[in-house]
Amino acid sequence: MSEKPQPERVLYCAVCSLPAEYCEFGADFEACKPWILQNAPELYPDLVREANKKNVDKVSNKLESVGISSSRNNAKLTAEASSAGASEPKQEVKRLPGGKIKKKLKQEVVIEKIVRNKRKCVTVVKGLDLFGVKLSDASKKLGKKFATGASVVKGPTDKEQIDVQGDIFYDIVEFITNTWPDVPGNAIYFIEDGRKVVAV
Amino acid sequence: MFRKFSSDDVSAQNQVKASVQRKIRQSIADEYPGLELVLEDLLPKKSPLIVVKCQNHLNLVVVNNLPLFFNIRDGPYMPTLRLLHQYPNVMKKFQVDRGAIKFVLAGANIMCPGLTSPGGALDEQVLEEKPVAIMAEGKQHALAIGFTKLSAKNIKAINKGIGVDNMHYLNDGLWKMQKLE
Repeated sequence: MSEKPQPERVLYCAVCSLPAEYCEFGADFEACKPWILQNAPELYPDLVREANKKNVDKVSNKLESVGISSSRNNAKLTAEASSAGASEPKQEVKRLPGGKIKKKLKQEVVIEKIVRNKRKCVTVVKGLDLFGVKLSDASKKLGKKFATGASVVKGPTDKEQIDVQGDIFYDIVEFITNTWPDVPGNAIYFIEDGRKVVAV
Repeated sequence: MFRKFSSDDVSAQNQVKASVQRKIRQSIADEYPGLELVLEDLLPKKSPLIVVKCQNHLNLVVVNNLPLFFNIRDGPYMPTLRLLHQYPNVMKKFQVDRGAIKFVLAGANIMCPGLTSPGGALDEQVLEEKPVAIMAEGKQHALAIGFTKLSAKNIKAINKGIGVDNMHYLNDGLWKMQKLE
C-alpha cells in the first residue's frame, strides 16, 4: 500500500468496493477473502493464520499455479486445491442486502415487434445491457443506422429496453453482432407469435 | 438517506453559473478550512461544476463526473466518503465502538451509547447540526458521514437515543455511484 502525503490513497477491495478493513462487515466476506489474502493480509492477521494452518488454501493454490509445483506431493495438493476451486463457482449467488439471493440473469438479447396503427410498428430490443453495452449509446447507434427514432425506455419490471421506430427486424441481428462482437448471434432471439425463436 | 439511490433519482442536472459556483466554493471552504489548499485541485475554476438535483431536496456537486459533495436543502455541504478518505482530517471525527459498525453500515443512525462507550470517542467541540465523520474502533478510515442531532456535550449527558443522523455510509447508493453521467 503506497501512500502519498497529500491525497491519501485508500485501498479498496476489488470484490466489494469497501475499504479493505471493512470487508468483514461487507455483504459477502467469504468472497473477499482471497482478495484480502493477496492484497491486504496485514489487516486480518486472524485470517492469515487460519490460511496458513490449512495448507491447501487459496494462496498456496495460486503460488502453485504460478509454477512452483514440482514434487509429487505438490501435484497432489494442486489437484486437491483445484477440486476445491471447482466446487466454488457454484456458490456464485449474489446476495442482496437482507440476505435475499439474486438470480443471475441469462444473457440474451430479445427482439420483439409491436404493431401499432396497423401499418406502423416499433421494434423493441431487450437485454443488450446484459452484455455490457451502454443502452444510451446503443440507441443512438441504432437510430443513426436505421435513420429512425430510437430511445431507451423503461420496460416492465424496471428493466430498460430500447424502442426503435419502424420494422428493422431483418437487419438488426447483423447490426448487433457487427457493432458489439461480445454479443454472440445465437444469444439473439426473436419473439414470433408469442414464441421465442433463435434469430440466426 | 442514500440507502436506495441510483441515477434514476436524479431529477435535473445543470452546469451552474459562475456566481453560484463561487458561492458553493466559498461555503465549502468555510465549512472545511482544511480543504482550502486543495480546493483548487478539487474544484478547478476552469472545469465545469455541475450541480445535480435529486429527490428529497438533495443536491450533489459533481466535477468531471465524480460526485464530490452533497447537501440537503440549504444545509452544509458534506464531502462524499471517497473524498473524505482522501483527505481524512478535514472533518471533525466521532468514533463508534465495534459493535455499532454493523448497524451503521446498514444505514442506522448513530446512537449515543455507541459513541460514549469505551470503544467510542467524541470531539468535544462539536455542536448540534454539524457534519461529522464517523470513524470506527480499530479502523483507520471513516465509515459514514453524519449530521449531529445533539452537541457532543449533550450526547455525553443524555446518552440515549439518536446522537448523529447517518447521512452517507459505505456501500450505500451514493458510494456505489462512483461515476455520474
